[in-house]
Amino acid sequence: MTILRNLTALIFLGAPLAGQQGLNPAKLLEKPTDTWPVYHGDYSGRRYSTLTRINSSNVKGLSMAWFYRTGVGGIKATPLQVGGVLYFSAPDHVWAVDARTGREMWHYAWESKGGIHIGNRGVGIYGNWLYFETPDCNLVSLNIQGGKERWRKTNCDLDEFYYGSVAPLIVKNHVIAGVSGDDLDRPGYVSSYDPETGDLQWRWYVVPQKMGEPGSETWPNEEAMKHGGGMTWQVPTYDPELNLLYVTTGNPQPVIAHKNRAGANLFTASVVALNPDNGKLVWYFQTSPHDTHDWDATQVPVLFDGEINGQRRKLLAIAARNGYFFVLDRTNGKNLVTSEYIPANWAKGVDKNGVPIPDPAKMRKLDGALVSPNARGATNWPPPTYSPQTGLFYVGATRSYSVFYIFDTDDNPQGWGGAERGGGSLGSMIAAIDYKTGKVRWSHKWESGGARSGLMSTAGNVVFTGDGSSNLVALNATTGDALWHANVGAPVGNGPITYDMDGIQYVVVAAGDTLWAFAMNR
Amino acid sequence: MACCAAVFVCSAQEPGPAKAEEVLQKVCGACHTPQSVLTTRRTRAQWQETIDKMVSLGAKATDEEFAAVLNYLSAQYGPNAADAAAATPAAGAGRRGGRGGAGAAQAPRPASSAAGPDDKHVVDAAAADRGRRVWAAECINCHGTYARGSDNGPNLVRSDIVLHDRYGNEIGPFLKKGHPMQSGSASANLTPVQIAELSHFLHQRVYDTLRGSPIFQMHDILTGDAQAGAAYFNGEGGCTACHSVTGDFKGIASKYDPPTLLGKFLNPRAGGRGGRGGRGAPPAPGVKQVTLTVTPPSGQPVTGVPVVFDDFDVSIRDAAGEYHSWTRTPGLKVVKNDPYAAHDDLLTKYTDKNMHDLLAYLVTLK
Repeated sequence: MTILRNLTALIFLGAPLAGQQGLNPAKLLEKPTDTWPVYHGDYSGRRYSTLTRINSSNVKGLSMAWFYRTGVGGIKATPLQVGGVLYFSAPDHVWAVDARTGREMWHYAWESKGGIHIGNRGVGIYGNWLYFETPDCNLVSLNIQGGKERWRKTNCDLDEFYYGSVAPLIVKNHVIAGVSGDDLDRPGYVSSYDPETGDLQWRWYVVPQKMGEPGSETWPNEEAMKHGGGMTWQVPTYDPELNLLYVTTGNPQPVIAHKNRAGANLFTASVVALNPDNGKLVWYFQTSPHDTHDWDATQVPVLFDGEINGQRRKLLAIAARNGYFFVLDRTNGKNLVTSEYIPANWAKGVDKNGVPIPDPAKMRKLDGALVSPNARGATNWPPPTYSPQTGLFYVGATRSYSVFYIFDTDDNPQGWGGAERGGGSLGSMIAAIDYKTGKVRWSHKWESGGARSGLMSTAGNVVFTGDGSSNLVALNATTGDALWHANVGAPVGNGPITYDMDGIQYVVVAAGDTLWAFAMNR
Repeated sequence: MACCAAVFVCSAQEPGPAKAEEVLQKVCGACHTPQSVLTTRRTRAQWQETIDKMVSLGAKATDEEFAAVLNYLSAQYGPNAADAAAATPAAGAGRRGGRGGAGAAQAPRPASSAAGPDDKHVVDAAAADRGRRVWAAECINCHGTYARGSDNGPNLVRSDIVLHDRYGNEIGPFLKKGHPMQSGSASANLTPVQIAELSHFLHQRVYDTLRGSPIFQMHDILTGDAQAGAAYFNGEGGCTACHSVTGDFKGIASKYDPPTLLGKFLNPRAGGRGGRGGRGAPPAPGVKQVTLTVTPPSGQPVTGVPVVFDDFDVSIRDAAGEYHSWTRTPGLKVVKNDPYAAHDDLLTKYTDKNMHDLLAYLVTLK
């Protein structure tokens, strides 16, 4: 039914079907191998490919197919591959590159009015149209054929210190767009736009906007709540059968000094399930109640089906920045597994709902509290991967400590009001977590620290990611042994992707300002 | 950063502004747009502190690059750059543009931050000070010292009018319409200059809520018990295995301020302020280096500072400065000699009390 509905919508939009350049949205509901049509490869966020042409036995023979250098800043975007063309972005820029040769087809440059240019996660594509966010708060639609602009819409207010960095996600006839920025005390939200006209369909505020609304009981007053933050800078995942959109939300505001926001501060630092047709909240699970360490929960909510305690379930797993790994029943948000994948010292324990209980002694203090993990987190935005072949959830993890201080002692602090200082990292690794228990089965430690690299796993028993020496690395997905590497000149800055074309399996990754493609020697 | 001094005197090697901006983009742009921190001018010492902070958060660069960044920021975004950057009439007109910043209109932009006019109110500190006087006379009773509001008036740091304002272009028309003032005089009579100064004052309050604001600083961190700290030093902490208060720690409290001292014992690799990561880069003064001892299947062991050390390759520079490189194979023995392994171990064990007590003790070693 869903496929039919989508096809109908597509014809209605007048977009071409498969075989031409446009994206057939039916692809989004499959586990495609010849395309990478959405940020995470498919809606599940698993970043797992069923391709086996490259596998743990032959990956040693992987070699460079081509590279494309943008000459513009760092690429953090996961490219989409549609119709043999790669589409990717950096702040204020979008490129289309031939997926077989790396030849540039077009390059679109946006004239910026400002905004934080920390990174851009990528683009969304539907039919013949591409969507991306700009640092200066615009949602822009381009024609994928030549990169010509169709329309631009304002998604946030630059003067309120919002900015755009996240990749839009297309779900049915909705362009789902999050928002970034935690410098001032503003509310986070996620919006849905009409893919054709760009008109706003709905907007869901992460923090309730009126006392009395669900969640408002976790705030002291409306003023604190309406300014309570919770940015939506991770790309959501989606379950077409349940028709639920899984959005993860950022830290509450003020970020560090927290006197004026007593309570759990819902729905910040949470996983929420929304109805994508109207933006209504269906359930939530808060990973860091009353966060005071800048740990958002904006890591990827990964969807897969699995067995817990002998029962087959629809699951959602997330390795949160606060050091905890959670498995939820994604139909209702009920917690099934909570574990520490990195030793965390900020919680007194876990409550009956599987939620860590913050230890007030480890909240920020005037004279400093030594906390693990630090504000960068046990992990961060780079995507993890889940392999149904091994049943393991792989995440780039760091063990770290820092001292958290309150600087602003006002009863009504604003913005940040404190900072972390000192401390250090005790090492970065890929942690392979058994989702059934939450226990780390193995971890592959990087000798020279980690990079902020995403991960991808394949049915070839391989996990691809980057290390701290600017290598793209292939690990054995079962054992964690390092199998292959190539020095790509800069830390891998995005999540690797793979696709099969003309009988060749490509692995494409970004490092610095360059996109690299690898394939087996022919 | 004492080693930077050597760079300062070598003006021939000093990068020009354009080159320095490239370095800024490279070093800072790895994690954030450099423009995001350029909202407020800072003294050289404050910029140094900002850089130290970034180093502690993982910023990686050579000492030369850090020195170039410091010089550039101090020159372009120091207190004395104010007039050149912000107070020119042209800079005030129609200034819209991102957090982007002070002086950005004059300086060549790094390619990745793209073009476009500035979209921010750049605060003129002297004008803000004059605005503070208007504030105290007419506004403070209702809106508070920090403009965060009171029972009698709203928070102006969170005000949409203030956030959208540029040099009084929103606040001015609002006040022209009539707004109660402390003196009882009509707000419509405020002069354009007074309104602009109020605007500078209010934007300064907004920027002071941002990360890295010089207004809000660390409080007293010497809250521990020095006697308990001494006991920890001599006992549980195991510090005397390597250190002696009459030897290497003699007078240590005279060398470092308390935050630096704390940073140093939590993570000595950082030189007190965080982790200087640049592999192969010279260490901060007084910081010992991790070394590797590599023994090839047939050959003598070689020890040196790691340049590359990963799953596949290892290379070191030995004491004579000679570079050695190997592909890692099962027969190649690599041993890591980490002079600070004990500190890493302690990092996982300190209670907050241990940490504060130890600091309280170390500051007595003058």
